[in-house]
Amino acid sequence: MGANIYRNKKPALAFLLPAFLFMVLFLYYPFFKTIINSFMHLKQLGATATEFNAPWYTNYEEMLHDPHVWTSVKNTIIMMLVTLVGQVGIAIVLALMVDNIGRGKQIFRTLYFFPIVISATALGLMFNLIFLRDKGMVNQVLEMLGKQDLTDWKAEGIALVTMMAPVMWQYVGFYFVILVTGLNNISDELYEAATIDGATALQRVRYISVPMLHNVICTCSVLAVTGALKVFDLPWVMFPKGMPLKTTFLTGTYMYYQTMETKNVDYGAALAVLIVVLGVVLAKVVNAVFREKDY
Amino acid sequence: MMKKRMMAAMLAGAMVLSVTACGNSGGAEKAAGTEGDAPAEAPAAEAEAPAAESAGSVELVVTTTFAGEDSNAQNYKDAVKAWEAETGNAVVDTSATADETFKTRVATDFETGSEPDVLFFFNGADSNSFIEAGKVVSIDEIREEYPDYASNMNEDLITASLVDNKKYAVPANGFWEAMFVNTEILEAAGVAMPGADYTMDQFKADCEKIKAAGYAPIAAALGNIPHYWWEFAIFNNQSPATHLEIPENAGDENGQAWVQGMNDIKELYELGYFPENTLSATDDETFAMFTEGKAAFLIDGSWKVGGIVGACQSDPNDPATLDSAKLDKFDVTYVPGKGDRKATDLVGGLSSGYFITRKAWDDPVKRDAAVSFVEYLTSDEMVPKFAQHGASALKNAPEVDTSEFNVLQIKAMNMMAGTTSLTGAVQDLFAGDCRVSTFDGMPEIVTGRVVAEDAVAEGLEAYHNQ
Repeated sequence: MGANIYRNKKPALAFLLPAFLFMVLFLYYPFFKTIINSFMHLKQLGATATEFNAPWYTNYEEMLHDPHVWTSVKNTIIMMLVTLVGQVGIAIVLALMVDNIGRGKQIFRTLYFFPIVISATALGLMFNLIFLRDKGMVNQVLEMLGKQDLTDWKAEGIALVTMMAPVMWQYVGFYFVILVTGLNNISDELYEAATIDGATALQRVRYISVPMLHNVICTCSVLAVTGALKVFDLPWVMFPKGMPLKTTFLTGTYMYYQTMETKNVDYGAALAVLIVVLGVVLAKVVNAVFREKDY
Repeated sequence: MMKKRMMAAMLAGAMVLSVTACGNSGGAEKAAGTEGDAPAEAPAAEAEAPAAESAGSVELVVTTTFAGEDSNAQNYKDAVKAWEAETGNAVVDTSATADETFKTRVATDFETGSEPDVLFFFNGADSNSFIEAGKVVSIDEIREEYPDYASNMNEDLITASLVDNKKYAVPANGFWEAMFVNTEILEAAGVAMPGADYTMDQFKADCEKIKAAGYAPIAAALGNIPHYWWEFAIFNNQSPATHLEIPENAGDENGQAWVQGMNDIKELYELGYFPENTLSATDDETFAMFTEGKAAFLIDGSWKVGGIVGACQSDPNDPATLDSAKLDKFDVTYVPGKGDRKATDLVGGLSSGYFITRKAWDDPVKRDAAVSFVEYLTSDEMVPKFAQHGASALKNAPEVDTSEFNVLQIKAMNMMAGTTSLTGAVQDLFAGDCRVSTFDGMPEIVTGRVVAEDAVAEGLEAYHNQ
């Protein structure tokens, strides 16, 4: 009798149903509606589309000729690489260093994790002040060091760096905490054995820590790449409308711009579909590259 | 077994209820406190209204542009508080700065059925969508029930809708657009204060001197808010009689005036008269350059008087902290003229007003309160407080009491006394995605990446396809 209750799946279905309905209502329905809207003529948010574009694939055709789409895709891919190297890479280094110190691990965990809890919008406003051309923190420091003229950190050419640095900085702590937890799961006996065998600190990292962290690093990499596709708020606060000269658009910010600012809602829907396709393809690629190993 | 099934069913039911309850409580919390989220607030307010009525008060959701640096932000807050105290009703205020984001929010609220009960909004093309959808009530319809509604206003000055030529919005205060001046920079550069006969050629000569003295002549963020220069640059190639005519195409006479206007801005950019970071700066940054003595001229609206005064206060919310000596250094004058437009021909008028939405009108609980609110805010006593140095539509406008005006408000009044005409803004008629190619596209135009004629043609095509 006791074991039979686990064979009956109906109660489990009852528990799954509310969440499933929630997902259908707020995720799958809007998603399929977005696909349909991308073929319709829709120039007002919230309005009901009544006719198809002529031809129905107009938006997708336009996408091929829209230079800002390619700019935003290119910037998003750069953002992914920056995320991988800058966020996961720096987090690995920090985690390995913190793991090797005797005291104060908890303090470093808290300090590095702290930016995550601040809203991205607030961070965007803060970095706006830091990179302000006139009286911004960076320019004031450079002035103190003897630099004569002011640098426009949001000018074309350097704007992407200014945009990506805060995004990178914000999430380093997130991956750091995951990696430190992974390091804590490595048995001390392995390190002790290696030390007895004469391994140096660097060799212990190279031959024990990094291989044992492989799966955690893979997970972090997948999270970082898929997360880069969703970055929106901080870049939008710092560089609204792709300023300057529409060179800082990411796929997310360009979709928002088309939908909310230019009221080109159907084109925005088509861009949303592109983001989903891009996300699925890149997630597959990343999963293939960073395949987890069985130990 | 039965017990366990029942328990499972109860737990599942509890989960569903908790999800529903979470949704409801979220809406209620928003209605109680948050600002700027009308879609969630309106339904919640509606649900609470019957209870509020039984307690003798009605909750009105109101959105206006009296927020941020608007000169009337504090006047509006005071007026709302006074109306609430007088009537026992409550206002859920979702006001925000008048920018494109605000306009989008209002349009979206109407589309999704989350519109406010009363709104102070633009009466030009920006209101077309919700008027076409029949979501606001005309003044004539309101007068069938409330014959005295807006009876203190001069009928000729109430703007009719572009959709059906009916009047919907009761105006409160007018606006003007002119050129603010930082006189400290003019003195440093040896430039005289511009007057009523100021021309574009004189302006360019002055800009050259200011630039040579090490200042930015014009405070404007062309990559963010090019609107004011867009308006006057086009106006300078037309006349007050033709300014509000939207060209058929970029090739006709009016279209060429628009193209020339864009090229005039390009010329000023190439001459280096805008700040170095004009394409990457925000409007707030260039405004700060102006108030901090780094840029000399700022074309903006009458609402900016409040912003400049605020910048001269150590506490922007406390008028007692005003640095009068600093405020003395600011002045306001006419925008340099060209061709058939004299400098004293300004852009201005009564482009906004109070709308009552169909949703509030059809709600017997809210109808009275909505009418009472608009009548209070547009009364003979209240309008002069909001109009200040600008125009109003009152039939019997009282003498303006300048005793409480600051020095910049008095300068603005004197400047306005010399205007030869006040023409509406053509961008109020040219709303929506048609603006994108010349507003958002301004950086591409001034840097020569897009030819002005192409950008204008693209915008006009979008306008005529609307």
